[in-house]
Amino acid sequence: MTLLADLSTPIVMGILLGGLYALIALGLSLVFGVVKEINVAHGDLVILGSYFGYVAMTIIGIDPILSLIIGMPLLFGLGFAIQKYILNRAFRISMDATLIICFGISIILQNTYQLIWTPFPQGLTTPYALESFSAGPVRFPLTYLLNFIAALVVMLFLREFLRRTYLGRAIRAAAQDRKAAHLMGINTDQVYAFTFAIAMACAAIAGVFLGLTFPFTPTSGMPFLIIALGVVVLGGLGSIVGTFVGGIAFGLAQTLGGHFFGVAAQMLIAYTMVLVVLAVIPRGIFGR
Amino acid sequence: MKVAIPRLRGGLTPLIAVIVVLALFPIIGVPSVWLLYLFLFFIYLAMANMWNLLAGYSGLICLCPAAFVGLAGYTLTIMTWLGLPYYVGIIPGGIVAALFAMLISIPVFRLKGIYFAIGTLVLPEILRLVFLLWKPVGGPLDGGGRGYTVHGVAELSHSQVYWFALAIAIASIFLMRYILRSKLGSGLAAIRDSDSTAASCGINVFNLKLYSFVIAAFVTGIAGAIFYIYQGFIEPTSAFSIRWLITIILATVIGGEGTEEGPIVGTIIFVILYFLLARYVGISLIIQGIILVSIMLLAPQGIMGKIRKTRTYRSLLQLATKF
Amino acid sequence: MTQETLLKVNTIDVFHGSFQALWDVSLSVKLGEIVAIIGANGSGKSTLLETISGLVHPAKGSIEFEGKNISALEPFQIVNLGISQVPEGRRIFPDLSVLDNLIIGSYNRKARSERAQNLQRVYQLSPVLEERKNQLAKTLSGGEQQMLAIGRGLMSNPKLMLLDEMSLGLAPILVNELYRVLREIRERGITILFVEQNVRRSLTEADRAYIMEAGRVVLSGSAAELREEEKVKKAYFGA
Repeated sequence: MTLLADLSTPIVMGILLGGLYALIALGLSLVFGVVKEINVAHGDLVILGSYFGYVAMTIIGIDPILSLIIGMPLLFGLGFAIQKYILNRAFRISMDATLIICFGISIILQNTYQLIWTPFPQGLTTPYALESFSAGPVRFPLTYLLNFIAALVVMLFLREFLRRTYLGRAIRAAAQDRKAAHLMGINTDQVYAFTFAIAMACAAIAGVFLGLTFPFTPTSGMPFLIIALGVVVLGGLGSIVGTFVGGIAFGLAQTLGGHFFGVAAQMLIAYTMVLVVLAVIPRGIFGR
Repeated sequence: MKVAIPRLRGGLTPLIAVIVVLALFPIIGVPSVWLLYLFLFFIYLAMANMWNLLAGYSGLICLCPAAFVGLAGYTLTIMTWLGLPYYVGIIPGGIVAALFAMLISIPVFRLKGIYFAIGTLVLPEILRLVFLLWKPVGGPLDGGGRGYTVHGVAELSHSQVYWFALAIAIASIFLMRYILRSKLGSGLAAIRDSDSTAASCGINVFNLKLYSFVIAAFVTGIAGAIFYIYQGFIEPTSAFSIRWLITIILATVIGGEGTEEGPIVGTIIFVILYFLLARYVGISLIIQGIILVSIMLLAPQGIMGKIRKTRTYRSLLQLATKF
Repeated sequence: MTQETLLKVNTIDVFHGSFQALWDVSLSVKLGEIVAIIGANGSGKSTLLETISGLVHPAKGSIEFEGKNISALEPFQIVNLGISQVPEGRRIFPDLSVLDNLIIGSYNRKARSERAQNLQRVYQLSPVLEERKNQLAKTLSGGEQQMLAIGRGLMSNPKLMLLDEMSLGLAPILVNELYRVLREIRERGITILFVEQNVRRSLTEADRAYIMEAGRVVLSGSAAELREEEKVKKAYFGA
């Protein structure tokens, strides 16, 4: 069946690529589902993770994935501070204010990157980043597989965290009914700060893996934000597993679209699919 | 007593005086650089007014003005390639933008708040990709990088383009005035506060949102087309760039969303800022971002919001209404 | 022996935006009592509970709990002090399991260490909750959800429990069961302040009651007194 064999490469690539997309989108989905904020700076924050990995690799000389030991707590703290001191306050003003402030943060980040690291593309070019991997007839970059594994691990970890810990339950409760959460003795301001911090830690991981897979520039945040939004829309808000599935769906749309309509059109196909899904199921496939 | 729709009271006389003075600038020999900044001011003002119409008065945070700008720009450019004089393409540019708005309103208006923002955010990006792939006019060597020059504008003087821009800026101001005092205006104010309440009062929420969206697209498109007459060159990445949105949001928000004078004040400040920061290219945007965040946190009502509350303003206003 | 006052509300005014919801409202609840706040819709009873729980703050007046002024505290701090509310409409977390709902009830630091015992006590009060502990809360019936909400309120080890219209929308037989549970809760030493629309039932179950109308307390006294009171008879029992 040559058709299937022909398709096997884009299918496998799509699924694996989807893993990276899911990884990028997880943080966004969490914040969106719980705090009901649309963080348009999310893409830029992921790229912050990429640049951090870059600094770790070029200046300090550690492997980017290893550098996450420092990178994750760093971004966790940053996220906590941003939510606690800026976004919680913005939330009290209005939803629009929150959107615009996130937008402002995005501008600040993008241009700071440009200032420090020039507009030219960078990449986390570790030796294994350039390797490929073969599974049967299909050949793909090793990093694609690493991304997928990382996404799976993070997703499972998050899911268990949300299920089994007090904070995790508090996060889910605050997402479902804020007022009732207050009455349970939950300090929602703090819970939101933790949620954003966790999202940032995810973004740190996503950033490093992104940097290993693709070259990135100061403005790479936006396209990946749009992808992440697409993934979240597909998979539905507030569902960790949904985001994972959404990521895979998006990845497949991209690779299969590219396969049938040409590489130049692949992003277009994927975005169009997002718009179509949004139009038909405004809540996404798994959404509540 | 609280005024439901904040608007500028007072007569037309001061406004007309200002307009006449501005129109005379090119004739009386104002330096070109000033004309340029005024030109930008007029273009941004028209766009800021429209964004204000959507965000400040209709409760629609539209993140896709770049779509309208780019589409109108390309329409104008294509028409000049078809041999038509440049000014013929201005209105069609606006119309194309308006048609686009009508088209996407169907799926996009079904989305509430946040989803609407997402939907509109993606649109300019999609259009950018479309125009990177699609070569509407010209042979294989033209449109390299998918950019096109605008034909027939090379000999235009600064003054001519200036007057077009002045015209659209004035039009946008009068349009805002008119809308806010009309039934559309009160309907929009109701919608901004609450969709469902407005609907239960018999307001056709979808239609009103559609009207303001289409009008905003039309005017923004025209302003964009005029911009490209000046620039003489269009290409997808900058035409559909998010910079349009940044500029417009900043201008509107600094001045004060939801007020009639807000965009005017905000755009003035924005252009001044632009002028001051012109040589520090890297930092200027960072500063713009910091200003945006600070304003939203500290003075979400913008400058006009703060000023309105002072007594000096009130007395000035009383003075102004005497004319 | 006089009982000590657990909760004291002193002439509070409460606003929702520019609209005044409570005017000069005072009440007190003594340790071990069951006190009712009775009134029709819009009389301000829910606002009163919201204010005690810290979701809203009084513009004038104060609220004291165990002698401490709590009017400016955040809701989570008030839960920590020992006041728990079972809100109107139950407001259980629909996509959490019954067990998770109960566990969330013990979120505050002090209650966490006693989680296991409290859970057992709640199961004793309502065995059906134990049966359904792994079901999603939204799949429970109305009566079961109300039981869950009460159980959840108990998990925080409260000294004072506030209940907002717990019998709303429930059949009389279920309401009986709920009041039985309430009495048992009082047996365990927890003071109760509940809000109700049903006058007759309230005056049967409570020791004392306050009657509210349009944001003010218009009558108060022991349940027995109020049952005899002419105005009450006329207004609510249509004598």
